[in-house]
Amino acid sequence: MDPSEVEFLAEKELVKIIPNFSLDKIYLIGGDLGPFNPGLPVDVPVWLALNLKQRQKCRIVPPEWMDVEKLEEIRELERKEDTFTPVPSPYYMELTKLLLNHASDNIPKADEIRTLVKDIWDTRIAKLRLSADSFISQQEAHAKLDNLTLMEINTTRSFLLDTLNCMYKLRSNLQPGSKYISDVV
Amino acid sequence: MPGERKPMRYGHSEGHTDVCFDDAGKYIVTCGSDGDVRIWESLDDDDPKSINVGEKVYSLALKNGKLVTAASNNTVQIHTFPEGDPDGILTRFTTNATHITYNRSGSRVAAGSSDFMVKVVEMYDSSQQKTLRGHTAPILSVTFDPKDEFLASASCDGSVAVWKIEEQTQVTSWPLLQKSNDVINAKSLCRLAWQPKAAKLLAIPVETTVQLYQRDSWAQVGTLSDDLGTQAINVVAWSPCGKFLAAGSIGGLLTVWDVESKLCVERQTHEKGYTVCGLAWHPLGGQIAYTDTEGCLGVLDGLSSSSSSSSTTASSTTTKVSLWSYMEASPSHPNGLDKFVDDDDSAIVPPAAAAAPLWPVYDGPMPTPPQKAFQPGSTPAHLMHRFMMWNSVGIVRGYNDDQDNAIDVEFHDTAVHHAMHLTNSLGHTVADLSQEAVLLACPGTDELASKLQCLHFSSWDTNKEWMVDLPKGEDVQALCLGQGWAAAATSALILRLFSIGGVQRELFSLPGPVVCIAGHGEQLLVVYHRGTGFDGEQALGVQLLQFGQKRRQVIHGEPLPLSRKSHLSWLGFTAEGTPCFIDSEGVVRLLNRSLGNMWTPVCNTRDNCKGKSDHYWMVGVHENPQQLRCIPCKGSRYPPTLPRPAVAVLPFKLPLCQTTTEKGQMEEQYWRSVLLHNHYGFLSSSGYEIDEEGQSQAQKEQQELLMKMFALSCKLEREFRSVELAELMTQNVVTLAIRYASRSRRMALAQRLSDLALEKANQLQGEEPQEEEEEEPLQYTRRNTGSHRQAQEEVVDEEQGQEEHMDEGDVAESKRQGKSRESLSHLLKEGRVNPFKVSSGLGRSGSAGGQNRVTNVLDSMMLSSKKPTALLSSSGSTGKLNKTPFLKPLAPRPKTKTQSTLLHMNTPKAANKKAVEEPAVCRLKQTEAPPPASPAENVENKKHKSGFQLWLEDNRRIILADNPDLEETDVIKEAIGRFRTLSADDRLTWTERAKGQSGDVADMKKRKRGEEENRGDKNGQSEADETRQSEADETSAKKKKPFDTSAKLSAFAFNKN
Repeated sequence: MDPSEVEFLAEKELVKIIPNFSLDKIYLIGGDLGPFNPGLPVDVPVWLALNLKQRQKCRIVPPEWMDVEKLEEIRELERKEDTFTPVPSPYYMELTKLLLNHASDNIPKADEIRTLVKDIWDTRIAKLRLSADSFISQQEAHAKLDNLTLMEINTTRSFLLDTLNCMYKLRSNLQPGSKYISDVV
Repeated sequence: MPGERKPMRYGHSEGHTDVCFDDAGKYIVTCGSDGDVRIWESLDDDDPKSINVGEKVYSLALKNGKLVTAASNNTVQIHTFPEGDPDGILTRFTTNATHITYNRSGSRVAAGSSDFMVKVVEMYDSSQQKTLRGHTAPILSVTFDPKDEFLASASCDGSVAVWKIEEQTQVTSWPLLQKSNDVINAKSLCRLAWQPKAAKLLAIPVETTVQLYQRDSWAQVGTLSDDLGTQAINVVAWSPCGKFLAAGSIGGLLTVWDVESKLCVERQTHEKGYTVCGLAWHPLGGQIAYTDTEGCLGVLDGLSSSSSSSSTTASSTTTKVSLWSYMEASPSHPNGLDKFVDDDDSAIVPPAAAAAPLWPVYDGPMPTPPQKAFQPGSTPAHLMHRFMMWNSVGIVRGYNDDQDNAIDVEFHDTAVHHAMHLTNSLGHTVADLSQEAVLLACPGTDELASKLQCLHFSSWDTNKEWMVDLPKGEDVQALCLGQGWAAAATSALILRLFSIGGVQRELFSLPGPVVCIAGHGEQLLVVYHRGTGFDGEQALGVQLLQFGQKRRQVIHGEPLPLSRKSHLSWLGFTAEGTPCFIDSEGVVRLLNRSLGNMWTPVCNTRDNCKGKSDHYWMVGVHENPQQLRCIPCKGSRYPPTLPRPAVAVLPFKLPLCQTTTEKGQMEEQYWRSVLLHNHYGFLSSSGYEIDEEGQSQAQKEQQELLMKMFALSCKLEREFRSVELAELMTQNVVTLAIRYASRSRRMALAQRLSDLALEKANQLQGEEPQEEEEEEPLQYTRRNTGSHRQAQEEVVDEEQGQEEHMDEGDVAESKRQGKSRESLSHLLKEGRVNPFKVSSGLGRSGSAGGQNRVTNVLDSMMLSSKKPTALLSSSGSTGKLNKTPFLKPLAPRPKTKTQSTLLHMNTPKAANKKAVEEPAVCRLKQTEAPPPASPAENVENKKHKSGFQLWLEDNRRIILADNPDLEETDVIKEAIGRFRTLSADDRLTWTERAKGQSGDVADMKKRKRGEEENRGDKNGQSEADETRQSEADETSAKKKKPFDTSAKLSAFAFNKN
């Protein structure tokens, strides 16, 4: 899966905007949106929010978790815990990137938020690598990882699977007897 | 008197706080660990002035306009008060000062510090310092001897010492306290207090008691304790008179003792049980301010009572000691304020009160300061960055800081206009914004007059702006914009109207100082001071004016119903044009136009708040969809301009009882829906286009709710209630309800409902001719008709009353009745419409030809239509379901009791009367606008039976002669039978006669229908009904249903009997 595909999925998330135009309900395949009243917050998917924002038709209200204090808390918790902590949104990374790139003027302390989210991301990826490492070094058959987001899984998937395949091949060459097993399976 | 503990409010962030009053007692001053000193005008002050004096403030003292604070940067600073400008540093320590205090005159300040030292510094010259050394641990507190000779200090080393200031020596020391190594570890803050007036006693909080030591002898002379006090006392404070001592404890207990009697006179607990760490008496005595370690500020009010001299006498006689009992014991001293007042301090005490306590002093309700004029949707004018207006059109922001004095106008909908930035050189303070213009106004100065400026951006010419100077001495206080007009209320109690282009229009005087005004479309809402409010109430009046075609005043200066002890905080119109306001208690009230322009509470915004100090700041109200648009404000009443506040939407909720139950919920929904759809009626009556779809949607919703409630009360076996609900339903829904009732085997209910359905149907018909009449060109007759109709109603009532007596069944009586009825029918006719009509005394039996004139149509119609009603009721449903008071006069024989009661029971008096009024014209109308079925059915029945009716009248006597024993119903049955045996031609003749009598010669179509149906009438009336019905169905399918139901029901009712 491509990161852009994950981002595409993230664009379905709802975000609050304050439109500066008036429009009746619009009926789309994915559901009804609106009605849009100038000055009144309304929930729309991110893709629409960004589109409207680019046309200067709305202001985006940052999601509740996109707040320096809350993110700092999450970061501390993430650093403290050995396991993955629950993230504020399953698409936190994508949403941060999208919203900050397109609507940083509507988000107070955009730079700090960018740094904080990057910190959280880095911590989590480091944990992921570490767990992959221990998974392989201990030669476990399976492992359970909670609270991983799609994007995080996506970053490690190709690498990890290829590596495991490769290692499997190497191992099966070392132990010819195991060929039989692999055939059965 | 039990003091009133007011709810605490957030003052500072959590941590140590301190509190004091200013000299005059006008302000409460607090400091906290957030490093701010806040100056509160009262506990309700939502915008206290904040002065930042450091990172943390440990203690403060205020006297003579100099505010001294002990901050965390180890200094004791001076600030001016109330300005809050820094005024130098008084002294420094090597670590922070823990407690500071003024002496009585304010010439010296004593400060105790964590570096074990106490310093006494002269205010006028901070270089003159005296240092008191001797404590071996951080100082907890210091207090001056009011005679300026001694100073007492408490320290963490466990000792309380008294020093001679001049000699800087310790006079005495008591090891009273528990030792600790720092102030934060000390068990108690041990704030000492020296009796202010006599300077005789020094109060030292020791554990749960307060010990009193005598001056000079330095011996303990007493202990004040409270049985309820289980935790250490933190702070003590003397009342200004020196007779009472207040103490605040770790557990949040506030106690006041009468020192002389050593009795506890007042006891209050902190609402959350937090530690009280600051305590101050109001300089006039009646109030105690206290703060806790969570940063909250509280006030204990109403400690006022009788004067001190009487209180002492009272205390000796009263065993139940409370300040209240003092008051009761000394009714001759109603002056409340000075109980705790230092009698020597004549500068503060009103001389009359102090010198002559017997002087009658007013202590009744105190007048409330009238609230100032304001713009709804604006934040206070003293802010540097403020909202001058936030409404449904856009936002006007005002900036007034060093760099810029400007106004920003921003529109929610950018399609209205682009954003504007104006320099505010005139100093505008009030603004309003509409789809057409921005209106600004500034108060006048010495040189310049008050100005009204309008940016009319929707103007099609190039001049987008106009400005008007007000007469000298007259200031604009409130303004608003409507559609095509602007209004400004001025300090001269004049309301000036302008056209939006700048033409001066009407002006009129206001009955009182304006509070605020609001405009919408052609409506103007003015709220003004009607008089003086008392005890926190405002006395506001409201006027609602309507411009446009019909200029009139809708609300004539009636009182505005505010919540108790609140003021107006927002006034405006909903987007649909219904006046609406919100008071400071957060209650939203909407004008209920259908209830005689009363105000109905529709929401309490405070119910949605999480915290006590949280509020919602209203920006707009919409009825469709039901939305209250407001901005949630944490810990304040209004939002700051930055960060940009987000609008939240609150739902309406009528404060009905028991809204947790299903019944209550549905009732609330129903009445809310009814209330919030009133605007349709208003809009259509004032000639606006209305959203028909929305209206029908709303009606559907309401009827659905009614039906649900109906079903619910059926389930609960509340049949009476079900009928009450059915009365609110429309006719169509009632038929549904009938079906529901009959299916759930509630026959009594079903029967009552069908009566109701008929009544409703008749009412519906009754309304139509009225409308018709309104359109008549002969307007002057209308008044006549109205009064006639009234008279006629009375007559009918009377007649019915008489009929009641007829139950006894007297033949002669009934005959007389018949005659009177005859004359009634003339009366009815005359009363009906026609002032030009000569006379139709022979109405019924008179020849048809004579009544062919068009003017007679209505009269004869109603006559004929009335009769069949009677007939139908007796023949069609055996007098059970349908009812008619008119039937009885026809009956030549006395009736049995049961029958007559039945008839009476089912009589909806108004209904029949209205049916009578129905003119022929409305029949034609029915084809275009299909009315609910039963009315139609009624009409049909009446029509085609009139032939039979005539025949019956002629032949009644014959029938009766043949069968003298027959009862009324049987007579009719018999009559039907005989009528059927007549030849078709005969019957046709009768019908013709009936038609002729009705005088509807012009209506050929109708006549044909009548003939047709009579010809087809083989099987008697009921079948004819069906025929007519099916005809009617062609025009309106709807008609069928209700008829079926009621027919079934009537059949059912018959069977049951």
